[in-house]
Amino acid sequence: MSVALSVKNLTCGYGGEDVIDGISFDVNGGESLSVSGKNGCGKTTLLRCICGIIPKKSGEILIDGKNTDELKPNERARLAAMFSQTSASETVGAYTVRDTVLMGRFCHKSGIFSSITQEDISIAEDCMRRTGALSLADKYINELSGGQLQRVLLARTFAQQPKLILLDEPANHIDLSGLPELISMIREWTEDGGAAVGVFHDLNLCAAASDRLILMDSGKIAADGSCKEVLKSKILSDIYGFDVQAYMRKIAEIWR
Amino acid sequence: MKKLGNTKPAAVITTVVITVISVLFGISAGSVSIPVSEIISAAGVRLFGQPLPEGMSPTTVNIIMDIRTPRVLLAFLTGAALSASGAVVQSALRNPLGSPYTLGVSSGASLGAALVIASGASFFGGFTVAAAGLAFAVVTMFITVGFSSKIDKGFESSTVVLTGMVISLFANALVNLVANLSGDKYALIFKWQTGSFSGRGWTACGILSAVLLICMAVYLRYSRELDLLSFGDEQAASMGIDPAKTRRILMIVMSLLTGTSVAFAGVIGFVDLIAPQIVRRIFGAKHSLSIPMSALVGGAFTVICDIAARTVTAPSELPAGTVTALIGAPFFAYVFFKRRRRA
Repeated sequence: MSVALSVKNLTCGYGGEDVIDGISFDVNGGESLSVSGKNGCGKTTLLRCICGIIPKKSGEILIDGKNTDELKPNERARLAAMFSQTSASETVGAYTVRDTVLMGRFCHKSGIFSSITQEDISIAEDCMRRTGALSLADKYINELSGGQLQRVLLARTFAQQPKLILLDEPANHIDLSGLPELISMIREWTEDGGAAVGVFHDLNLCAAASDRLILMDSGKIAADGSCKEVLKSKILSDIYGFDVQAYMRKIAEIWR
Repeated sequence: MKKLGNTKPAAVITTVVITVISVLFGISAGSVSIPVSEIISAAGVRLFGQPLPEGMSPTTVNIIMDIRTPRVLLAFLTGAALSASGAVVQSALRNPLGSPYTLGVSSGASLGAALVIASGASFFGGFTVAAAGLAFAVVTMFITVGFSSKIDKGFESSTVVLTGMVISLFANALVNLVANLSGDKYALIFKWQTGSFSGRGWTACGILSAVLLICMAVYLRYSRELDLLSFGDEQAASMGIDPAKTRRILMIVMSLLTGTSVAFAGVIGFVDLIAPQIVRRIFGAKHSLSIPMSALVGGAFTVICDIAARTVTAPSELPAGTVTALIGAPFFAYVFFKRRRRA
């Protein structure tokens, strides 16, 4: 499999402070990687930097073999799409679900006079079908529940047809009944050859959504390996400051 | 919110019809009431050299073509320019209170005009005040943009709005200072600030409509970017635009357009806040539709306010900017707080 994302010695942050401190890792096409760690360890900052929302200070980011320094914003958006937490009340006005998902096609429209084509519409519909948002197509997004909006924004992320999707706490507004579906959407995405990097607080979600897990601590990679390896290692308790495995086993007893 | 998929074309047609009626009514209403048929005849006489119809005096033609029509047209163009710009600013800054006024453009223009009026300078004859207004509007916008970029590299909307407010208040203080030191010209400066469409003539209409057409083309070119920006910088960036750069371009175009309109008509408040709010409620948020519709609604609203300004206390006139604010502020409060309460 080809390398979809290659992060080399990346340092970035806000103002003078380095939140990400010289980290390196690769993600292959068809691979799903989870990133976790304590609050403020730099998980979300990492996604924001890969996506070009905040500038990097040093290091290199290659998406699908292309150095992001050499990419225009729309070229980058064709390679990597980010799905992040949002609420509709934050938007200025009302857009229909269909229009919202079609916004994902923007990065494929270069030139002043290029307009939305039938192909864009069918791609958008396909993505809505995939995330279970098609029945909402004509609703306004400020009428939707948190979970419905998540489906719509996920469809928009897919509509960018990127090589890599970056998911920032995608399960946040989704109740338990929607979780298996979300996980299978991520899994289907990688089975089709796409790469995914997801940030989750919940270690169980990490294990469900990915085979590989990176644990971050103070802007550095503390552990990188298969979910099984990382979740069983001693480093987990070191990072969180208590015996995580014993705690999880205790909870698991209830389900027996 | 109601589904509007099928009602949109009807709403667009209704808006266009209301706009045309308000313009015709604006020309017709006044100290001498003129029937619409005479307006059409006067246009025929003046523009196509048709013979003067029987029973119609040449004075009526002059009133229609030299006084009423340019005045109503300027009111329409000013309202359209401010409202389209308001729609753009509100989305670009994701702030429902964003407007050329809150960004300091109007205050900057006032300062330029006040300085010229107070000093009695005259570089461009009758257009000196307008030219100074425009120049100061653009310079103020550059100061706002430059200052916000300097303190915040991401050029985030809250920084821009706060900077605009600070610069706006400072410029207003300078206007007051200039006005107080100018002695007998105080009244003239005050009058300019409260806005009027009276006696500006066809040249003002010509210049403003040319600038309006060009700037509207730029706004519409960026309508899809504005759609993305409504979702916030983070999402807009991940969908493939450079939020800071887009915002900067739009701010500069906005300052040119609103600067030109403020230069001719003075400060006309609130229409730039209200029109986009109403339009978004009726037509949805999509900018390819909401920008032109804001222009029409804002233009029609301003024409109607101007009719009130010159008829309510006839034969004396109220300042147009005062009327737009008198009608606009309570209306805005109603619309804005009603939504807040529901949310």
